Amino acid sequence: MWKYIAKRLAMVSIVITGVTFVVFSAMYLAPGDPAEVIALARYGDDLSVSQIETLREAEGLDAPVHVQYLIWLGHLLRLDLGKSLVTSEDVLTEILQKLPATAELAVASLLVSLMIALPAGVLSALRKNTLLDSGCMFVSLLGVSIPNFWLGLLLIWLFALTLQMFPSFGYGSLKHFVLPAFTLGTSMAAVTARLTRASLIEVMGQEYIVAARARGFDEGTVLIRHAMKNALLPVLTFAGMQFGYLLGGAVIVETIFSWPGIGKLLVDSIFAMDFSMIQGCVLFIAVLFSLSNLAVDLLYAVLDPRIRYDRHD
Amino acid sequence: MNRNFKFILTICMLLAVIMASACIGEEKEETAKDTGSGESSQELVVGISSDVNNWYLEMFAGGDSRFVWSQVYETLLRLDSDLKIIPGLAESWETNDNGKTWIFHLRENVTFHDGMPFDADSVVFSYSNKSYARQAVLRPVQSVEALDKHTVKFVLAKPMPLPYYLTHVAWPVMGPGCLDAEGKFVKPIGTGPFKFERQTKDQEVVLTRNDAYWGDKSLLDKVTFKVIPEAATRVIALETGEVDMIIKVPEYDVKRLEAKEGIQIHRKLTTFTDFLQFNCDSSPFNDTRVRQSVAYAVDTQAIVNEVLEGIGKPAGGRAYSPVMMYSDPDLKTYTQDLEKAKTLLEEAGWKDPDGDGIRNKDGKPLQTTLIVSKGVWAARHNPMAQVVQGALGEIGMDVKIQVLDDGGISKLESTGDFGMILRTGYFVWGPYPRHFFVHHSANPYSHYHNETYDQLVNAADMAIDTKEQEELYHNLQAYVIDEVPAFYLVHEEKIVGTGPSVKGYTISSEDPWLNLSGVYLERK
Repeated sequence: MWKYIAKRLAMVSIVITGVTFVVFSAMYLAPGDPAEVIALARYGDDLSVSQIETLREAEGLDAPVHVQYLIWLGHLLRLDLGKSLVTSEDVLTEILQKLPATAELAVASLLVSLMIALPAGVLSALRKNTLLDSGCMFVSLLGVSIPNFWLGLLLIWLFALTLQMFPSFGYGSLKHFVLPAFTLGTSMAAVTARLTRASLIEVMGQEYIVAARARGFDEGTVLIRHAMKNALLPVLTFAGMQFGYLLGGAVIVETIFSWPGIGKLLVDSIFAMDFSMIQGCVLFIAVLFSLSNLAVDLLYAVLDPRIRYDRHD
Repeated sequence: MNRNFKFILTICMLLAVIMASACIGEEKEETAKDTGSGESSQELVVGISSDVNNWYLEMFAGGDSRFVWSQVYETLLRLDSDLKIIPGLAESWETNDNGKTWIFHLRENVTFHDGMPFDADSVVFSYSNKSYARQAVLRPVQSVEALDKHTVKFVLAKPMPLPYYLTHVAWPVMGPGCLDAEGKFVKPIGTGPFKFERQTKDQEVVLTRNDAYWGDKSLLDKVTFKVIPEAATRVIALETGEVDMIIKVPEYDVKRLEAKEGIQIHRKLTTFTDFLQFNCDSSPFNDTRVRQSVAYAVDTQAIVNEVLEGIGKPAGGRAYSPVMMYSDPDLKTYTQDLEKAKTLLEEAGWKDPDGDGIRNKDGKPLQTTLIVSKGVWAARHNPMAQVVQGALGEIGMDVKIQVLDDGGISKLESTGDFGMILRTGYFVWGPYPRHFFVHHSANPYSHYHNETYDQLVNAADMAIDTKEQEELYHNLQAYVIDEVPAFYLVHEEKIVGTGPSVKGYTISSEDPWLNLSGVYLERK
């Protein structure tokens, strides 16, 4: 078990090293001049060409690219992601400030999605090819197809404007969670429900289920103790990956609901051409994503003995 | 490991996550209630699109920051709601050598929010060479000195109508109390009608009334600026009553909101004018006749009517909004004339012998690009660009619209690989016509290089005598009409929406600037 964990951790660190390289070169190749960005942020539009050049020298932006990369990497090792070009604030501090909002929304939407998807998927699978099944699957098709921003605005219109039940924007109370978490949760639920259904149907057709039934277990026991355990494995992987995505910030939903999370931070920095902030955010999201995948792998190993390699305990 | 144990462990982990998230939510709920119960009847809530990114004079206050700055900080001179210069922290001002030195006589008995007196030293502090204004727009200022406790002298390298520049809220007077003993910025200290109370990054900024204010004290106890980046959400928040006022209402929502009971829409021509900037350094727009033909082809009245719901004023090439100083009311602007546009293209050598609808010259088709930024103006500029594209198609010009982020635009600008850019609001603050510098060779965003024009702009900016200024600026406007370094499309209107409880609001032309004097609330 520990060996497995160590192996996975080693792979994660290789991935992250690769990510630093990709992130840095992407920023270097991206259009736009960091020196100009700094100049614009400090002095506004009313600029002269010489001011931009002075800043380029002062900020070390005239150094060769590999030198800049190594300097950046050196800072990274000391957990220093640099300072924002636009606000001069520390990038890591800024990201960590946004993390709780994003993480809370991620957990809440994951819960919403599982609470909808699991019952719907299981019901559909058990009542395969009935009206109930088609109904559930039709709704979930809608859920996949409806874009987030539209659903979000629709929910705001209905629950905030017409019914006045929930606030239309902001962050702070439990009520503020409802609309964004529901917007994100439902679109995730759609895919999860379909996956649960397919996986459960497959498992229910296997011989060990027939065997379990033959031994006289009632249908509920067969479903929960025998079928679900196996059927839920792919669902778990998928939910874990979704969670990884969500931790990277749900860009559109965060923007619509003025949710102060990482997704919004990233979009704002992209529009402001805040290179160091974009680098920091992308790197941070990549790390989180790798870690959440690692967590899923480990959980998988715990749940499925077939995956638990070299067991020494 | 025992299997059941693992199962229980997994369940426990899940439960822990659920509990943790519930706890976080719970905690937040309580704090929300705390602020909620303290809500007084005179607490105005304003929805803005971006947070205050900076509070100190070392950096430019971008985005919507200045709406908030204009409540906390004040300038030496002010503008009234029609952009006329009025005394601010300075009661009077003078120059004895035609604009190379300026002396300001400061208002007495004014205190900063921290109780310190406002005096000549604080003006020296605010315009020291550490301030970004001195490194940017106030570059010609050589020194700022206190002559006595209430008199300040600005010495410039060249004559400059400094008072106009000092009306701008992005370079206001700040108290030395902004800094701690080591010179680190701690909190905003100004002289304005409201004091800074707290800021929750990307969520809200709370200001409270300055009871020691020297002028008319505000009728409001508190102003909360809520950051709502999405325009549609901002509009809904006004409709649900979650905010009392929103700035920058989208044009397409105006009619619907006006029809709603209790909601009021306030509109006024502002200093911003959208313009189509040409790349005058390369073909086809290096030929003045081609630029003129664009000016004849595009119907700016149609843009206002069809795209902007009748909001704004067609510019027809006029560089300056009628609310600006020296905007020439008798200026001969463009009205659509497709025949004339076609004739000009013919004269420039662009003909269409093969009849495919696109003109050619020396075997090259008349194709060009029109760049639109993805930023905050996109919702307004995208449809405008399409109208331009349609109009130019009619005279045989094939225009491709490119929607790019600012990085992409700046790259194309440096390589010169573009035809036109749609822009607004460059160098426009207050009524003073600084904007002409946009087409000046020294400007990195200029794509027009003409010595006569540069000299005209320099002369106008150095003129102090108002008669002389007026004449020079009228000449410049006529020059821009003839030479068309850019074709000016629409004078923008500023749109503010207020809810049923807001009374006494007067919209001002200055942008970005929020006038809250006289505003009070009547909650039902």
